[in-house]
Amino acid sequence: MSTLVQPTAGTAPATRFRPAAVRGRPSHYAFVLPAVLLFVLFIAYPILWVMGQSLYAESPQTGRSFVGLANYLAAFQDRTFWLVLRNMLLWGLITIPVQMLIGGLLAYAIERHTKRLRGFYRTMFFLPVVTSVSVVSLVWVQIYAPYYGIAQEYLRHLGITISSSLIGDSTFAIYALIVVNIWQWTGFSMLLYIAGIANLSEEVLDAAKIDGAAGWRLATDVVVPMLAPATKSLLLLGVIGTLQTFPIVHLMTGGGPNHASEVFGTAIFKQSFILGDTGMGATLSVIVLVIALALTLVQIVLLGTRFAAVRA
Amino acid sequence: MAPALKRVLRPILLHGTLMLVLALWLVPLIYMVSVGLRTPAQAFNPVLFAWPVTFANFVTVLRDNPLGGIFLNSLIVTVATVVLVVLVASMVSFAMSVLRLPGGSALYAVLLTTLMVPLASLVLPLAILLKTFGWVNSYAGLIFPYVALGVPFAMVVLKAFLDDTPRMLFEAATVDGCTPWQCYRHVALPVIRPALAFVAIWQFIVTWNEFFLALIVLTKPELKTVTIVPMQYSGLYMANPGALFAILTLIALPLIVLYVLVQRAFVAGLLAGAVKG
Repeated sequence: MSTLVQPTAGTAPATRFRPAAVRGRPSHYAFVLPAVLLFVLFIAYPILWVMGQSLYAESPQTGRSFVGLANYLAAFQDRTFWLVLRNMLLWGLITIPVQMLIGGLLAYAIERHTKRLRGFYRTMFFLPVVTSVSVVSLVWVQIYAPYYGIAQEYLRHLGITISSSLIGDSTFAIYALIVVNIWQWTGFSMLLYIAGIANLSEEVLDAAKIDGAAGWRLATDVVVPMLAPATKSLLLLGVIGTLQTFPIVHLMTGGGPNHASEVFGTAIFKQSFILGDTGMGATLSVIVLVIALALTLVQIVLLGTRFAAVRA
Repeated sequence: MAPALKRVLRPILLHGTLMLVLALWLVPLIYMVSVGLRTPAQAFNPVLFAWPVTFANFVTVLRDNPLGGIFLNSLIVTVATVVLVVLVASMVSFAMSVLRLPGGSALYAVLLTTLMVPLASLVLPLAILLKTFGWVNSYAGLIFPYVALGVPFAMVVLKAFLDDTPRMLFEAATVDGCTPWQCYRHVALPVIRPALAFVAIWQFIVTWNEFFLALIVLTKPELKTVTIVPMQYSGLYMANPGALFAILTLIALPLIVLYVLVQRAFVAGLLAGAVKG
């Protein structure tokens, strides 16, 4: 690095910068101190706390007692827990690919084929992302409402008649919520793909065109592979997004009816803050954390070590 | 097809399709505004547009509800969080990328892992921790956890940007006698400005709209933020969707307007390589 700067007469050698840095002067640690303190206090300590707390049972009658892994066994034997897992699986398996597909198509159409209206399209498709999730949830509650909601009305015009409320039905509820989630976040997928497409090398594209790739062939055989980093980051962010799902479910169904749309967020919220069972709340917290870290590890092993959201 | 005809038809077809998709995509938002503009008689009509149009709902909800205070709460929490995230993350990235602090890469890996921690697993311990601090029902109780959760993403973006900056710049500054602090303040910060804009805008959107922690930390009515109040209004205006949707529109509007104003800088930061695709 230092060879870039030719030391000239009268100035100190450019290399002076690095050795001083490598020694790590005490004052340099001041740069990382705030980040480290915040991490220890608000991330690391809470994680250690839930791990410990998950080994205790707490009830207003008996107080706090050590129960070992009993909370985990109780969770695994609970029907709701398996509903949560099923819902999370559906959520991730539907949301992530659909958002990638719609977001990718939009990004490709907008970036490669529009000029003057490009900024307009980018902004408009992104609007749901910047609309408060509480507002989004309540608007969709009305859209799904029986009798006066427009969803059932327009579905009826298409020949699909639904007699019950879409989010009040234990079969449909989770899918109805997934639709809302996809709608709100597809703009984000679009934007990441836009960044990927804008950074595509024109030379490679031109070379592909000379080789006869055009239209769909160009898109699927050249552009899609070149967007792999963006796809990987969307996968990673999609998994985390799925596991921390909360507001849409809490506000629209509360996890109901009869736990049919329960997710980790709502289950943890209920156990911890409504039932006051912090042992079970902590147990579920640890489980979702372990799942998140395990899935991340799997992705890193399968898809490469680099965190693609940020580095190609 | 004749090339000339193709040249005319293609854009029409493309923009026609895109506009149609966009119109469908925005139906929920259009519906929200449309119901807000209805008379009580039309409020429950299951159609996208209904006549006549009236601003009565907006006038009523603005008169009856202290929206100003709610926006102010959100603004205080959000601005403080954004400023601190930008400050803390740029400092830590500078130490890793430019100062090459020993142990920097280990710290980077540790903070990166934070990105994979779902907020759902932290709400319970954070609630207990904030209670010990006496920070329940305080701005600080939201700001500091938000900053801790926001720093890792900002750090990753800013460090990537700094890594791509020629070392010459920093070396020249050091030769000229800059201390690390001066180098950070006068060389690094100006250079990474596009990435800072991107990080700041994204953090603003995320913080303004955060729900889970706000729900747990803020229970006093006078402290509630824009994400928490809509629940109350859905109960209050249960029989009056016109008023409900008017207030939801008003609650959603500031961030939408703000985003439209700054989207150029946001996308520019994104394209400048803030997030490498």
